[in-house]
Amino acid sequence: MSTTTPGTVTPGTTTPASTTAPSGRRTPAALTLLRLELRRVLRDPVTLFFTVALPAFLFLIFGTSEDYAGDDIGNGNVGMAIMIAMAGYGAVSATVSIGASSAVERSQGWGRQLGLTPLRDRTYVLVKASLSVLVALAPLTLVYLLGAVAGASGDASAWLLSYVVLACGATAFALYGLCFGLAFRSEAAVSGASGSVVVLSFLGNIFFPLSGGLLAFAKLTPLYGYVALARYPLTEGWVVTGDDSLVHDPLWLPITNVAVWTLVLAVAATLLVRRGRGRQ
Amino acid sequence: MTSTLPPSTAPASYDVGRRAHHHDVPAVRLDALRRTFPGAAGGAEVVAVDHVDLEIGTGEIIALLGPNGAGKTTTLDVVLGLVPPSSGTARVLGRAPREAVDAGLVSAVLQTGGLLADLTVRETLEYVAATYRRLPTGSASVADVLERTGLTALAGRRVSTCSGGEQQRLRFALALLPDPSLLVLDEPTAAMDVAARREFWATMHDETARGRTVVFATHYLEEADAFADRIVLMAGGRVVADGSTAEVRARATGRVVSASVTDPSAAVAAADRLRALLPSAVADVEVQGARLRVCSAAPDAVARALLVDLGAHDLEVVSGSLDEAFLLLTEEHR
Repeated sequence: MSTTTPGTVTPGTTTPASTTAPSGRRTPAALTLLRLELRRVLRDPVTLFFTVALPAFLFLIFGTSEDYAGDDIGNGNVGMAIMIAMAGYGAVSATVSIGASSAVERSQGWGRQLGLTPLRDRTYVLVKASLSVLVALAPLTLVYLLGAVAGASGDASAWLLSYVVLACGATAFALYGLCFGLAFRSEAAVSGASGSVVVLSFLGNIFFPLSGGLLAFAKLTPLYGYVALARYPLTEGWVVTGDDSLVHDPLWLPITNVAVWTLVLAVAATLLVRRGRGRQ
Repeated sequence: MTSTLPPSTAPASYDVGRRAHHHDVPAVRLDALRRTFPGAAGGAEVVAVDHVDLEIGTGEIIALLGPNGAGKTTTLDVVLGLVPPSSGTARVLGRAPREAVDAGLVSAVLQTGGLLADLTVRETLEYVAATYRRLPTGSASVADVLERTGLTALAGRRVSTCSGGEQQRLRFALALLPDPSLLVLDEPTAAMDVAARREFWATMHDETARGRTVVFATHYLEEADAFADRIVLMAGGRVVADGSTAEVRARATGRVVSASVTDPSAAVAAADRLRALLPSAVADVEVQGARLRVCSAAPDAVARALLVDLGAHDLEVVSGSLDEAFLLLTEEHR
């Protein structure tokens, strides 16, 4: 109320719907919401620690301490391929948990509360998507920094492109978390979603190299395409299998995988949102 | 039960607070509102609001009273643009509900409105304030609203550590942020103890003195009686009574006249005869053996008819409790 003379109009005695004092520049709503949402994430240090530290730890175990890490592959070494995989696991864990908790908190009444405000769904989605990318960057960047000092090597373009693919692709997995949250609407959905990411990571050829029939099946699972695409600038499609041979994935395979899964998740999320409208 | 206060006669009867605003655009106008929900597992659809016509003038304080399942929350959800009507129309301050919400003209304290446990009280207000483009500087309004709802001392507290009453005050503070013309409260005191309830209504009194229109749902008749100028009684998705609190109260607190007839087998016939004698005074007759229990807003006439015309004895007249009367009014509509 900086524009009213003190003593003439006390706050609140203005007639309803007349509070239109000019304000100069205001922070856009989305930025204020993003700041508050980030603060919420930082307030949960345990989850944040595991989100950031677990992929880093896994990289140090699998990506640096074994003899094969220094072996050449494509435009770099195996250590870098493992680094990309672990960073991808970390980034996806982060976005999945944010997607799931967003859906759960909305279904538990916060959605109705926001329904009473002029906030648009698209602004809300933009805020949560930005938040998930920002949070995903934490494990991603840490693992890349560790990789740089712990022996991962590759072309500059492989470093840059894989980082960008991981950061952007992780956003699609916020949809995966969102579907879990929308379908189950309880805190258990968040841990269920995170747990399933571990399973999908095994199938995504992330934790150790698969082979044979399991590898053939793995190529249909969502995390496989995501990590294979991120690794492509490094490996040019060559994959080390569990029985120490090399197989080749053409570029269309990870691209199709990512595109199809993103579409499936987007359609599922839309249908679940539609189901959840009305009385909650 | 013949209603002495039919729902649709309302406009003639409650005008003390209304006439002054008669020419204004009504705060709320519902025409033939109906809202159904799909039944669980392919069952028959559930009719939450059957047929509601309602006009609320600006500046009125209205209690929407009714038992659980009466359709109060759904009616309010339509007014707030949270669910669209299945048929009929809803206008809020002359606009579609969603437009009114966007313009900050209407806000609400919802029964099921959730809060984020890991934000502080002030951050929660900042979050919601940011969604309104119209608010002056955010922080100034937030500080102001904190002050008015007595939350200033709690501003830095996490929502998770606030008591139920404190959280409800926060929801109320959120509703005040846009400085709304119409404030909707859905069972605002349901989770509060007596002290918190009293404090809440004291704050509400200050806020309504500012000329807002207030619509609150409750199933406490006392609360409606103490706070509203008009009561709209809902049951089974319809408005079953609508009038000034004094009228609805008078109607709701009719007396119960009971007396025995000599021959138990003639009791039912006696009840029918009483209904025929005093069609407008007899709200309800219950027969228990030889005893008739008559609910009536005109107990003297009923007593006379029972003793003189029906030769009954052992006459007793008691006041029906508010709750009893409330049940009586809503029972047949379940």
